[in-house]
This record gives sequence, C-alpha cells and structure tokens, in this order.
Amino acid sequence: MTLKGTSVAFAIGAVLTASAAVAEYPERPINMIIPYGAGGATDISARTIAEPLGNAVGKPLVMANVTGAGGATGSVAVQNAKPDGYTMLFARVGSHSVNPAMKATLPYTLDDFRFVTVYEINPAACAVSPSSGITTMDALIAKVNEGGVSYSSSGVGSFPHLASAMVMSEFGVADVMNDVTHIPQKGGGAAITAVLNGTATFVCTNSSSLASFVANKQLIPLLVTTSEPVVGFDAPTANDLGKDSLNQLVGWTGIAGPDGLPDDVAEKWGAWMAEATQDPQFTESMTARGSVIRLMDPVEANEFIQGQYNVFRKLVDDLGMRIEG
Amino acid sequence: MSLADSLMAGLSVVASFEAFFALFAGICIGVVGGAIPGLSATMAVALTLPFTFTLQPITGILLLLGVYKGGIFGGSIPAILIKTPGTPASSATILDGHPMAEKGEAGRALGMALWASCTADVVSNLALILFAGWLASFALSFGPPEFFALILFSLTIIAGVSGESLLRGALSAILGLLLATIGLDLVYGTNRFTFGDPNMMGGLNFIAVLIGLFAIPEIIAMAWNPTAHLGKARSLGHTKVSFADYRRSFRSIIRGSLIGVFLGSIPGIGAAPSAFLSYSEARRKSPNRENFGKGEIEGVAASEAGNNGVAGATLIPLLALGVPGDVITAIIIGAFMIHGLQPGPMMFILNVDIIYGLFIGLIVSSVFLFIVGSVAIKGFRFVSDVPKRILMPAVLVLCIYGVFAVNNNIFDVGVMFAMGWVGYLMMRMHIPAAPFLIAFILGPLLEDNFRQSMLMSGSDPSILLRGPITWFFWAVTIITIVAIARNIRKIPRA
Amino acid sequence: MSPKAIQFRLGLGACCVALLLALVGIPGWVSSPSNVSNIVLSPTFWPYTLALMTGFVGIGLLLASRHESPDPDPTHIEGTDPKAWLRLAALAVIMMLTMFALPRLGMVWTAMIVFAVTAFLFRTRHPITALVCAVLVPLALYAFFAHVAGVAIPQGNFVRLP
Repeated sequence: MTLKGTSVAFAIGAVLTASAAVAEYPERPINMIIPYGAGGATDISARTIAEPLGNAVGKPLVMANVTGAGGATGSVAVQNAKPDGYTMLFARVGSHSVNPAMKATLPYTLDDFRFVTVYEINPAACAVSPSSGITTMDALIAKVNEGGVSYSSSGVGSFPHLASAMVMSEFGVADVMNDVTHIPQKGGGAAITAVLNGTATFVCTNSSSLASFVANKQLIPLLVTTSEPVVGFDAPTANDLGKDSLNQLVGWTGIAGPDGLPDDVAEKWGAWMAEATQDPQFTESMTARGSVIRLMDPVEANEFIQGQYNVFRKLVDDLGMRIEG
Repeated sequence: MSLADSLMAGLSVVASFEAFFALFAGICIGVVGGAIPGLSATMAVALTLPFTFTLQPITGILLLLGVYKGGIFGGSIPAILIKTPGTPASSATILDGHPMAEKGEAGRALGMALWASCTADVVSNLALILFAGWLASFALSFGPPEFFALILFSLTIIAGVSGESLLRGALSAILGLLLATIGLDLVYGTNRFTFGDPNMMGGLNFIAVLIGLFAIPEIIAMAWNPTAHLGKARSLGHTKVSFADYRRSFRSIIRGSLIGVFLGSIPGIGAAPSAFLSYSEARRKSPNRENFGKGEIEGVAASEAGNNGVAGATLIPLLALGVPGDVITAIIIGAFMIHGLQPGPMMFILNVDIIYGLFIGLIVSSVFLFIVGSVAIKGFRFVSDVPKRILMPAVLVLCIYGVFAVNNNIFDVGVMFAMGWVGYLMMRMHIPAAPFLIAFILGPLLEDNFRQSMLMSGSDPSILLRGPITWFFWAVTIITIVAIARNIRKIPRA
Repeated sequence: MSPKAIQFRLGLGACCVALLLALVGIPGWVSSPSNVSNIVLSPTFWPYTLALMTGFVGIGLLLASRHESPDPDPTHIEGTDPKAWLRLAALAVIMMLTMFALPRLGMVWTAMIVFAVTAFLFRTRHPITALVCAVLVPLALYAFFAHVAGVAIPQGNFVRLP
C-alpha cells in the first residue's frame, strides 16, 4: 500500500466513525470472546454456531479465545467491556454456574453479566476404567465406603469437580470432602487420561467428551444425569436410579454481554439466535456430538442460570467446598 | 486384514488431488504461521480448524497435520534470524542458531534446521506407524509419580545450558520456577502472587514470557548502544549447509529424534523440553562442547531434531488412546470429533482406511516439508540483509501484535515488556536465559505431579518410587547429578 | 564491573529476595485455606521451598565470588555513557506509553508511533525508509492479523480501520 492508500484508509475509517452515532446496531463486526482454549467443548460449540449466527447478524463475528483461570480471564474481559453489544461472551457452565458458586475470590458475579441466550445443553455422565472392576453406581459407592476412591477433574472449581461431588452427595456419601479424594488435573483431556491410567477412579463430565472413550470401550459409563438416555451410553439415567435432582447437573453454553446491555440489543440477539438455531447443518453437527439444542430467550436464560447457580451454591455450602482464600 | 489390504484401503481415501493439496497448503500455512512470532504453530492450527469443518475428514486432518509440522519447523526461522522463537518449541534453536546468524551463517543454520527437522520427522513418523500400539501402552503407565521422576531428570539439563557458571544458571532457573508459581493453585484453587489482578490468575502467558526473555533484551541492548553491531559480519547468510555438516551431526539428529519420539508419545510434556533435552545431550557427547552456545551447527541440528521428533509421536497417544499430548493435538482431536471420528483403539478396527491414509499422508509430508522449507529459507533470508536499526523496531512491532494475538489480551504485551527488562538485566549480569525458560516450563509440571502423587497416596512419599519407570529416572537423575558435581570439582583444579 | 563484583552482588540480591519472599511475599500474597490436611499439599509449600533454594544459591554465589577474578571483564558493557542511560530510560517510557495507548488509540496507530520513535532512538541512518516502514509495517501486520488470521486487533476510540 502506498501513502495514498493509507490516506484512503484514513478517510474510510473516519467515515465509519462518523456514521457510528446514527447507524443501527450492529454496524460493525462483533467481538465474540470464548473464555476457553481452542479445540475445547466451548470453542467447538461457539465456532459451530458462528456461521449461521453470522448470517443472521449480517455482520462478521470475530471469534477470540481469551483463556486462563478456568474461564475467568475471558469473562473479566467482557465484564469490563463497554455494554454496547460489540463485545459478547460465550458463557459456559464452568465459568458462570460452578465458578461463581465455588469461588469467593472470583473477580465477577452473575450480576455483572446479562445473558441473552442459552442454546445448548450437554448431558453429564460418570465413567470408570474397565480395569477398576466397577460396572454400576452401587459398586462405586460400595468402594467409596471401603476407602481409596478418587476422582479427577479439569481443575478446582470446574464443572467435573462439582459434578463428581454432587453425584457422591446424592448417592449418600456422608463426608464427600474426606471420603473421596479429588485429584485435579490441568484441562479436560488430562482429567480423562487420569482415569485411563489409573491415577483416579472415576470422572464425571459432559457426555460429549466421554463419548469416544465409551465407544472405544476404554471407559465404562455408570450414569447419565438427564432423564432421557444418551445415545451411545449404555448406562442408567439419573431418574432410573431415583436421583431426579441430578437432572440439574447439565452443562450448557450461552451468550452473555456485560451488565447494562440495552434491551433492544438483547432482543435482537434473541431473534438472531432463533434464526441461527434453525440451520439444519448446525443442528446436525451439534446433535452428532451429543449436545441437545435447547434455545432459551433472554428471560428464560437468566432464570435457568440463576436456578442452577442456586442449586450449586447450596451444595457447595453444605459440603464446605467454597474457596475463600 | 493384512498390511497390504490396509495400505490399499488407506490409498483409496488419500489418493486424491485434494488430500495432497491440503497437506501441501497446510505445510505452507504452518511454515509462515510458525515463522511469525506469537502466531505460533498452535495458533496456526487453531485458525485452520474452522476450514476443515466442510472438508472430507482425511483431507481436513491432513491439512491440520501439515500446519502442525510446518509450524514446528517454521518457528526456527525467526529463532535463528531475529532471536525470537516463532513457536515455543524452537526456543532451544536460538542458543546456537542466532549466534550463527550473527557470524553471517544464517543460511547454513537454516539449512541445517530444515535437514534435521525433515530427518526427525521421518523417524517420528516411522515410530508412529511401527510402534504406535506399544508406545501407547507405555505412555499409559505414566502416572504422576513417573512424571515427577521424569521431570526431575529433565531439570538436570539446566546444567547443560548454564554456560560459564552453574550457580548463575541455578539462579536463573529458580527465578523461572518462582515466576511460574503465579496464578491459581492447582489443588486448592487459591491465589498465588496474583496481587488481586484477574489477568494474573491465569498465570503469566508462556509465549509472552518467552518473547520477552529473548527478543526484547536485544531491542533494549540496541537502545544502550545503537552502533554495537556495526562492523560485525552479520550481513547476509548466503552460506549453505553442506553434506559434511549433516553427516557430522547425524548422530545428534538421530538421538534427538528418538528423544522426541519418547517424550512426544507421553501426553503432557510437549516439544520444548524435548528440544532442550536433545540439545543438552548433544552437547554432552560432542567433542566441540566448548563451542556450544557460540554458534555450533550441531546444536541447531540437535534442537530441531528434538522438537520435530515430537510432531509425529504426539499422534501416538492421539490415535491409539484418543488422548491429546499437547495443546496442538487437543485442537486436532477436535477436528476428528467434528467429523464423527472417535480416536482410540477401536479406530484401528473401524476406520483402518483413515488410519492408513493418515500414515501415507504423514510420510509424504516429510518430503513436502523439505520442499516448502527450502523455498521458505530462500524467502526469509533477506531478513538478515535488513539494516538492523530498521529491523529492530519492526521486530518490536511484530512482537506487540504477535503476543497480543496469542490470547487476545493487552495485558500479555505488558508481561512481554516487563520480562524484556528482566531479560536485559540478566544479560548484563551474565545470567543465562535458557535455564529460566526450562524451569518456567517444567516447574509447574514438577509441582503438580508431586502434589497429585501425594493426593493419590494420602501423602505417603513412597509412591514416588512405585515402579521400574520411577526407579530408572531416579537412577539416571542421581548419575547425572554426580557427573555434574565431578565436573565442578575438576574446574578449579585445572 | 569485575566478575567478582557481579557474583557478589548477585549473591547479595538472591539472599535479599529469599528473605523478602519468606517474610513478606509468601505470607502476604499466597493464600492457603485453613483445612489443608498435610503440609506438603499446602499451596505455600512449593514457594517456601523455592525461597529456601534461592537463599542457598545466594549464599553459594557469595562464597564463590571470593574465588572470582577481581579484574574488570573486558567483554562486559560498561555503564559510563550518560546518553546510553538516557536512551534506556526513553525506551522504558516508550513501553509504558505503549501500554497506555494500546487500548485507547488502537494497536495500529500505536505501533506506527512506536516504530518511528524507536527507529529515531536508535539513530537510524535511513530516516526516510524508517518513516515509510513505520506506516507500512503496522498496516501490513494489521491486514494480516485482522483479515487473514481473524484476530480482533484493538481498534481504539478514535479512527477505526476497515
């Protein structure tokens, strides 16, 4: 580009800025922050919806992974952004239900965000390694009472951490914090590897990350937390085992903006999401990975997340799992 | 099914123009991406991922593998030319590659990097094809205690890259270990040295630290004395690598490749430690030991063999167990899942055509890498002709963009600047930077695996000696430390 | 500075850091929950180990400095030229201003200024080329990162690029 080219660029830039005041939202690309790393469940989900959503929005969506501290770094970036609808967050169960429930030191609360949608629900499942000799939940609980049972997770305050604790508590383990050992790992892949190589006894996480290991017979599923059975998982549902309250234990992905996001922006997102989730290719690839598409409008999404938070918060307080330091 | 049938099945899925074109394009993207500091091989793979959604499974995966392999080699280009590792794996290449460029031998260093990379790539691919099952079951016997022993041993390589004073090397390493403690505690999730800043909770970004430690001090040194470089024979590296160079370094290359295969097949370690381990082994065995760190071509060969040896081998846990070995393979596994493929033992039965198609593609990729790499070297060599006082501001701007792009976070740019001053101070005080970096990578692994072992055993330390693998690493660690101690005693006597 | 002096100062510095960590840094900035079952599992265990090791290395450096040569090292860069210190300070200021300007001015414009200012700080012999590069390099990088790699390069509050 020559100097002349630059001045043209200047001019275009100036025009764009000048028109900003009158134009209707959105008049430029929207930054979508993914608070987890590339290739993870949130990332794949976000990038799958990016295309149909981008078509509905009519402006490009710029996807940016901001990782660190179990989703907190990316969430803080959106919390501190201008509430103009040009910086939005792919919120996830870990960053916006479990983390706020468990960590007193978290730099944000649920009130710092305005959720515009939840579009995906992931059933959770618990699994053990075949070499453990365990094939049912009852056998696992019997083993817990003998002692020496441990579970892995992708870190303190992650969804698998809370999920395992909740399952143990529902199945009547008296002192979850001391009867079962939590062996945190760095990342979801490492958490499953820990069960494969015998470091930990079991893991509870969303079914899509376990699916390939179950299909390859490297792991045995013990339980799925939904009321409906999950395809590919030859395991009883929580309702089959009489633990209906575990139905709350599901993963989800949604979209949030900073608190103070204008109503008309939130409404627009609701309409865009309704359009984007109709896309057949999106539906197909999401269900192929074991997700359930369930679109919630802004009001419903806020209620759902707040409800899940309350359940988790109560559990965390009952078990004394809250991290204060 | 016999091997011939499997190969035919593989050929039938891979023998198309698109598949090979994707592989070739992937390598091109990878070399360019790897050569841009901050963009790095990981980012390049992540950026290519969405394009594979619409491709045939094998084509998409070959595209990503091409980016991966190209990226690991591409990282050595800026490491040699501007002392900025394009990708963390190439940080060991700086140690001898950049001094060679300063001597006007950039072309020779780059050529050796390419030859060593391609050789290691072939070895690594062969290991994958022939020993995947065996190495995978070996990798599964690595629990936290085994990891702890292995990493303890890997830390002894600090002695090999400490330069003139072991004590200053140790100081540098401890500084690295200390900075690596920043962030959230693994077991309790509490804050450590975060000073209340949410950006610190995730720990210091590795690439920001890496670039800050190597590239920025050069820029600061230039501010100190803008004319220091004048009169040095830096300009131009039209020197070429010779076959004699290659033959002389061949043993180091093969040793480095095997180290790469070994460390690559164990999930969770990655390419950078492998490159450093290979480098320090080459130095230990070489008759020119004194010349290491001052522009020894064998050092470049060993580091590049060490990191490229990992590239094929990380596919062993991926294909055989469905477990990602590092960040890059974690992204590649995402591509498998998107196409409904479930890596693991069953894939060798259900999708033989894809597995063998990948093997064929991988073998071809080494040849493609050689071709693309040769062109890239010719293209990038002009960098050593740019006047240094124009080049340095350009490097600074490039680093700002690159470090931002890693995690889309301006805070990381600040980390890079701050580490730049730390690095400059260390340079002035004759403290080597390489031990810092090794410790920064390995420190968290050491601590985490120690604590995981303690959690497993209920704080019984005997778990650290639970099996033959741990015994082996403890033994070699002790032998190495004894050897280092002897060397120290020899020096004052001489 | 002689190797002896460097070694001595490093040793002293390391000992101070070790003390600071053990007395102020770790108690103040590493939080440990009250229910830690075993001392080796505590979040403070590893930092304290490192502080101890820093202390040992510091003492080692102090002891070793006695055997080092007190003669000035010919390869060492001497800090006598006041202008050199001034340039260092200027670079530090540039870096701080960069951090301030990045979110406000946008990355491209900041990078242009940084390029031009540092090139002149280094007293380049090609001022025209430097200015041209100062405009072109950030723009080219922007085009690449924003439009090829799809990175959300910070745009700032004033002039947005397409």
